[in-house]
Amino acid sequence: MNPYRLSTDELVKKATDIRKRIVVLNSESPAGGHTGADLSQVEIVTSLYFRILNCAPDRLDDPERDVYIQSKGHAAGGYYCCLAEAGYFPTDWLPTYQHADSKLPGHPVKHKTPGVELNTGALGHGLPVAVGLALAAKKSGSKRKIYVLTGDGELAEGSNWEAALVAAHYGLDNLIIINDKNKLQLAGFTKDIMKTDPLDEKWKAFGMQVTQCEGNNVESVVSTLESLQQEGKPHVVIANTIKGAGISFIQGRPEWHHRVPKGEEVSLALKELSHG
Amino acid sequence: MANAEHFANIMVERFISAVEGGVDLVPVVADSTSTAKIAPFIKAFPDRLVNVGIAEQALVGTAAGLALGGKVAVTCNAAPFLISRANEQVKVDVCYNNTNVKLFGLNSGASYGPLASTHHSIDDISVMRGFGNIEVYAPASPIQCRQIIDYAINKQGPVYIRMDGKELPELFSDDYQFVPGKVDVLSEGDDVLLIGMGSAMHEVVDAAALLRDQGVSPQVLCISSIRPCDINQLVKNLVTAKSVITVEEHNVNGGIGALVCEVIAEFGTGNRIRRLGISDGGYAMAGDRKSMRAHHGFDANGIAKTALEMVKEN
Repeated sequence: MNPYRLSTDELVKKATDIRKRIVVLNSESPAGGHTGADLSQVEIVTSLYFRILNCAPDRLDDPERDVYIQSKGHAAGGYYCCLAEAGYFPTDWLPTYQHADSKLPGHPVKHKTPGVELNTGALGHGLPVAVGLALAAKKSGSKRKIYVLTGDGELAEGSNWEAALVAAHYGLDNLIIINDKNKLQLAGFTKDIMKTDPLDEKWKAFGMQVTQCEGNNVESVVSTLESLQQEGKPHVVIANTIKGAGISFIQGRPEWHHRVPKGEEVSLALKELSHG
Repeated sequence: MANAEHFANIMVERFISAVEGGVDLVPVVADSTSTAKIAPFIKAFPDRLVNVGIAEQALVGTAAGLALGGKVAVTCNAAPFLISRANEQVKVDVCYNNTNVKLFGLNSGASYGPLASTHHSIDDISVMRGFGNIEVYAPASPIQCRQIIDYAINKQGPVYIRMDGKELPELFSDDYQFVPGKVDVLSEGDDVLLIGMGSAMHEVVDAAALLRDQGVSPQVLCISSIRPCDINQLVKNLVTAKSVITVEEHNVNGGIGALVCEVIAEFGTGNRIRRLGISDGGYAMAGDRKSMRAHHGFDANGIAKTALEMVKEN
């Protein structure tokens, strides 16, 4: 059971709180951040941690807990803001993001940060490990589910497709792969760098059960995740998102992949978020 | 001395024993069932093994996930593909994440002989020594292999075991006790110190016999525990040695030759040293093991020849 079980309205408010934390966290970082990627995933991680996941801060040793893997490890800042809001560590750790020897490094490190399940940052690692976790659960007769969030640019890593073959071959319907399809990556638009479309058909051809949702709409995310049935196939949820979602001068702009808000941008962003 | 045994057979025997003893061990292969000689395990436990197909990144990533899910995950495939193809998965998913994965590098070194350099792993020790958080072993004989595997299965955390691909005879007595870190002394001598690793240890032992026939008295050490390695013990042997020769079926860079050089330099023991193996910048010659080792100068004759040259210079 998720300890929060927030309603849709409450999730919307929580997502806004997390967005505000992302703006401040990145603005105070001494080493930049990945603001755009942090913001595109907000409704996905908020829905997971405050509604979907059968996991809680006091159950991190429970072998029956659901596992969430942040494969797009560069969006660590957004992940940390969600984990802190969900009580996995104190929110007053957030200003230490990327400072020397911080408990919140620039990519997730599980032995430093409570709640982090896997050290990621090199792309294409989350899915193969998630496949192993899902296989272990099947072999042990566990009902736990394994969720993994990838980027869309990340899907150019071949390791994802090796793992997809394994997941489908072993019928891992306890595995939920969520693609944060924000359509941008480091060097520009994903369709220009290395197109992944038609992404749904690719996953279907690999043997997956594919669903699409509006990834920056908690109602769409929650209803999609709550409607998944275990029918012998791994799940892929293509979450269509906007990189930098929620802040007008950040969203959809490639330069915000590795930019952080500074000076007046911080107050402008916070003002936008406060006024919806 | 016991008959020669293939290390993969020993590995499978220990896996079966571990599962029978209650260990939740899951072997993961990449179509490498025959490489791993694992049919007896599959017969004993039909639903336990995971085969990811010819996909080494999935092999190691899946193993890490199985370990995070509570299993003792053991990967079994050819060392070159494990080390090179899945290098980042070994570094990140196994070492950095400190997962309970045991990596078995099968048919390591130039075991695949004529199949040439795509199939040789003469860099695995140097790669593993560059990674944090993982113990590294290279058994030289059946009894040692057996004990290292049993130790690894019961040890929490990542372990790499460099497994030779040929049947190897015993080097140690029945009462041999493997101790992580320990450098094993096979024979005492004053004229030259011979240090070997893994399957090349057998060339060292044969070379020592040739040297004794010619009135030269070698001390013979075996480094099977590369990380941890009891450096203080190594220093004790080095301070009393005149000349040192290291022997390994590995590139001389980053293997035990490099390890011994580091100790000599850092502890100021001042030994002259010759590192035998695959020389800097080279690949192992494609061919049968005897010819390959002779070509590179680390068969028994080559080792003895180098030792005699060094003894003359003493």
